[in-house]
Amino acid sequence: MNIIVCVKQVPAKDAPLAMAGNWIRESDISFEMNEPDTFALEEALRLKEKHGGEVVALSLGPERAKQTIKEALAKGADRGIHVADEKSYELDPLASARALAAAIQKEKFDLILTGLQSDDQGFGQTGVLLAGLLGLPHVTIIMQIEAMGDAQDGRLRLKRELEAGWFQWVECPLPALLTIQSGINKVRYATLKGIMAAKKKEIRTVPRESLGVTGEPSQKVERIYVPQKSKKTEFLTGPPKEVAARLVEKLKFEARVI
Amino acid sequence: MTTQRERLEADVLIVGAGPAGLACALHLANLIEKQRTAGDASSSGATPLAAENIYVLEKGREVGAHQLSGAVMDPRGLAELVPGFEKTAPFYTPVTADTLYFFTKHSAWPFPFLPPSLKNHGNYVVSLSRLVRWLGALVEQSGVNLFTQFGGAQLLYEGDGIAGVITEDKGLDKNRRPKGNYSPGYEIRAKVTVLAEGSRGSLTKDLVARKKLDNVNPQLYAMGIKELWEVQPGRIEPGVVAHTLGWPLDKTLYGGGWAYGLLDNRVSLGLVIGLDYADPQFDPHEAFQRWKTHPFVRRILDGGKLLRYGAKTIPEGGWYSMPRTYVDGGLIVGDAASFLDSRRLKGIHMAIKSGMLAAETIFDALVAGDCSSKMLQKFPEKVERSWIKKELWPVRNFHQAFQRGGLWGGLLHAGFQFLTGGRGLVDPMRAHAGHEAYRKLAEHAALADEISIPIKPPERFQGDGNLTFDRLTDVYHSGTRHDDDQPCHLIVADTNVCATICVTDFGNPCQYFCPAAVYEMVQENGGWRLKISAANCVHCKTCDVADPYQIINWVVPEGGGGPNYDGM
Amino acid sequence: MKILVITEQRQGKWHQTSWEALAAAQQIAAETGTTVVGVVIGKGVAPLAGELAAAKLQEVLLVEHDLLEPYTPDGFIAALVQVIAAAKPDLVLFPHTYQVRDFAPKLAASLGKGMIADCVACRNEGGKLVFVRQVFQGKAAVDVTFAGSAPWFASLQAGAFRADKLVAHPSGKAPVNAVSLELKPEQIRTKPLELFREAKQAVDLTQAPVIVAIGRGIKAQENIPQAERLAKALDGELAASRPICDEAWLPMERQIGSSGQTVAPKLYLALGISGAIQHVVGMKGSRTVVAINRDQNAPIFEVADYGIVGDIFEIMPALAEELEKAKAG
Repeated sequence: MNIIVCVKQVPAKDAPLAMAGNWIRESDISFEMNEPDTFALEEALRLKEKHGGEVVALSLGPERAKQTIKEALAKGADRGIHVADEKSYELDPLASARALAAAIQKEKFDLILTGLQSDDQGFGQTGVLLAGLLGLPHVTIIMQIEAMGDAQDGRLRLKRELEAGWFQWVECPLPALLTIQSGINKVRYATLKGIMAAKKKEIRTVPRESLGVTGEPSQKVERIYVPQKSKKTEFLTGPPKEVAARLVEKLKFEARVI
Repeated sequence: MTTQRERLEADVLIVGAGPAGLACALHLANLIEKQRTAGDASSSGATPLAAENIYVLEKGREVGAHQLSGAVMDPRGLAELVPGFEKTAPFYTPVTADTLYFFTKHSAWPFPFLPPSLKNHGNYVVSLSRLVRWLGALVEQSGVNLFTQFGGAQLLYEGDGIAGVITEDKGLDKNRRPKGNYSPGYEIRAKVTVLAEGSRGSLTKDLVARKKLDNVNPQLYAMGIKELWEVQPGRIEPGVVAHTLGWPLDKTLYGGGWAYGLLDNRVSLGLVIGLDYADPQFDPHEAFQRWKTHPFVRRILDGGKLLRYGAKTIPEGGWYSMPRTYVDGGLIVGDAASFLDSRRLKGIHMAIKSGMLAAETIFDALVAGDCSSKMLQKFPEKVERSWIKKELWPVRNFHQAFQRGGLWGGLLHAGFQFLTGGRGLVDPMRAHAGHEAYRKLAEHAALADEISIPIKPPERFQGDGNLTFDRLTDVYHSGTRHDDDQPCHLIVADTNVCATICVTDFGNPCQYFCPAAVYEMVQENGGWRLKISAANCVHCKTCDVADPYQIINWVVPEGGGGPNYDGM
Repeated sequence: MKILVITEQRQGKWHQTSWEALAAAQQIAAETGTTVVGVVIGKGVAPLAGELAAAKLQEVLLVEHDLLEPYTPDGFIAALVQVIAAAKPDLVLFPHTYQVRDFAPKLAASLGKGMIADCVACRNEGGKLVFVRQVFQGKAAVDVTFAGSAPWFASLQAGAFRADKLVAHPSGKAPVNAVSLELKPEQIRTKPLELFREAKQAVDLTQAPVIVAIGRGIKAQENIPQAERLAKALDGELAASRPICDEAWLPMERQIGSSGQTVAPKLYLALGISGAIQHVVGMKGSRTVVAINRDQNAPIFEVADYGIVGDIFEIMPALAEELEKAKAG
């Protein structure tokens, strides 16, 4: 089973954010693999262990994104594809998906896995868009993947998460794209041998402009800001029964949350 | 339980990717490359050396993540390691002004003259984290195998020396049970293992104790607490170096403050405090926060923003605290081996130089096919002939004098030492381990019989949230994180001691000296219990140094965890 | 300008956020002088269309087909492409649900358009619509506008708009018009099977509309049921600050904060939580925050809309009683 996993490099979760124009200042912050993508990568590696084949790590980003691809290689991915764009943060999800789709045009794969969304921009669309551009069926928020019969030319049986504790099984033919729910597996550690072997694995670099796809935006980020809390705390005083009653009133009629 | 461990073999294994470890790796790789291009194959026909057979282990998530220092760097070490670094290195700004102040509560008195040790002309204000990151990239380019997120958990002892290291087990839960992604530590064997763990390295501590490598004095430590701020433009020029003595530290406390101007309106500031103070409930973090309220510092910080926080211990013992730095198959370099000039407050250049001298020693040993003490003892011999000794020898009694005589006694002795090439009035001046300095609470309190269990500890400092911060808020800004579900890496040999005698004797100083709010005494069933929030740990090692009963042993947690000292 | 609102139902039951999207559409329409068309899609959903028609809408489109029940992305996309082609809206609005995440981006892309998803606000700036999204897990926000020509696609975060602001139809009912569709079984590639409910092994606090969180002030594990009672009365989830989970009084997955979950529910009730920054970063995106703490200087009050300085052991039972009364009445 040949699998392409989309991994994104994002600022480290605790990085102090400094706003600059319509993005953040990137100096002096460290980066890491988008956490939801780590679960997609782990799922891909497990499928490879079970069914054989190849796992390719695909990432769109500036030069530093190669580090994230290397991490994927160290964990067991076989090769990487880096779609290079120093200003990838400016791309809307449709433009990103177009670039990714063009980069893997000549690849032979059975499955594409992505995380649910990125911890920085959090669009949550790129996977689904990629499926659309490639004409692939897709299923989102996957908890479990089962191959039906012979995984080579068969279908998959997928457990999909719905809201409020509901789930659903879905059958899907291959090739397909799946977005993987976070936390469904225990992500493995890179091994020392894996880290050493990663140095020798191929990372194919493709500049985004060379792909000939339009970067024409469908949306524009006007500005990024830290929302100022215009909150003034309203303190309620009095004996407990009174205060409780007043609070319920406020929540009902003023804040309208109950 | 005997764990099945995967075995790897290397020529050289370096534990710690700080300035010393990376200098060793880079210099060794350069020596190997020089030999290769000179076509100078070993005559014994042995396999030629290769940079790929040098492994470096780094417990942090990335190279530089755990690196913290003020810092004002003497460039001579780096200039030897990477000639012409000034043109390509992005991490420094030249020192433009040097000042020393004596603080009283409301005023700052500039010293009439600057002691030569604090003259920094020709030096650079650097971010150690950035410097190390840059060095790390050079090391990787050279072909050396640099493994981040792996720590040295145990030494492999063999014969009279060491044969390698076992890395930490990953994927164990709080109760040491394997989780789904359990991965046992590796047994990495090497011809030479270099311990470059930094101040109070855990493997170093073990080796020095086991092989009795101690010198006439035990190591003496100070703790440095640092904040990195972004301030309003013009408050402090890049390259300005200011040091302070006095308030809020009284004459019995060793230490002082610093404020260094960096580029982009950033300031590095902090307080260094000797970990040999008498009052067990002294709170270094609080002292640092108070220091910031001094008008001199406040003027710089007003309207600014805290970016990062961190802390680390500093080995201040100097020459007489330097352990024997070699055993069969092993060397100790950098801060772990006391290569720090406490009078000049500089250790980076020495860490680099010691790493380079170690590399030269190792190269000769590998070529000769003999990595025993016989070859490795050439390392201290090289140190003896180098500028490390020239610099450390005259300050060999520096820190000890402060332990004996307080601030003024120390300065007096320092004066004599300066005039006598370091000999001073007593040589060697002995010192005791810092934790022995604590005076029991009963000795402090005049009313000894009023003390009873449970004791209400003094109120913890809250901070104003703007200029000063409580410990937890500061810890948040250290970016420290650890996987919660793992064994606790702070091993307390007997927590009953904490719950009983330490309460009455010392009032549980761990709650005060830990800069990361890891330790807390909580009330339980009419008594006390030690609560450890290991995930807050910033890997400074203060607890390992300063606990009065020496029952805390810091071991390496799962790799990748710890602080994130970007820009520090 | 015409706004098309795609509502959501499953097995004849509304996804309640549909009403929020409709109310939002009406607001935008009022500000920009446009009309709103509601869409009900599925099979056997005529009664729901009838319900929808009571709102102030230009019309309700009833989009029915055998192949639209159960939901599949292929089916819905194929159907809605036809609906959009016929209705020619300028703006297509969705509530941001799991299902919408599954098909809406692909729908937009099939028409060569992008989508602004999970918006928390929308305002009219001189005729141009500006949508607000959260980024960096709620730590920052971005103002986003559409580029290019209509139709534009956007989805709205649950709770961002108020369903009770829905305006009723002035003269009774909007016309309900059935849309005829062409759908073929071969178009649908995935095969949905059984739907089932599981005792949730993992709690997803990020989806909870109401969270009741406890901190050190709860003092002992045996006091937690008092907070649970409040959570039940509010139909919310129980959560905690770090120290509670450290003690294992609640499982780690209920932890809110920098080392736990980041949430932004419409109501966050903080009981006995001091408000250390490690906790606050995990919840400050919450719409309404109520904090109860005995210390008036506790930092939690800085992020609270409503604060009560008092003893949580007196307030909790009183509050629970009032809430239970309100729920029943």
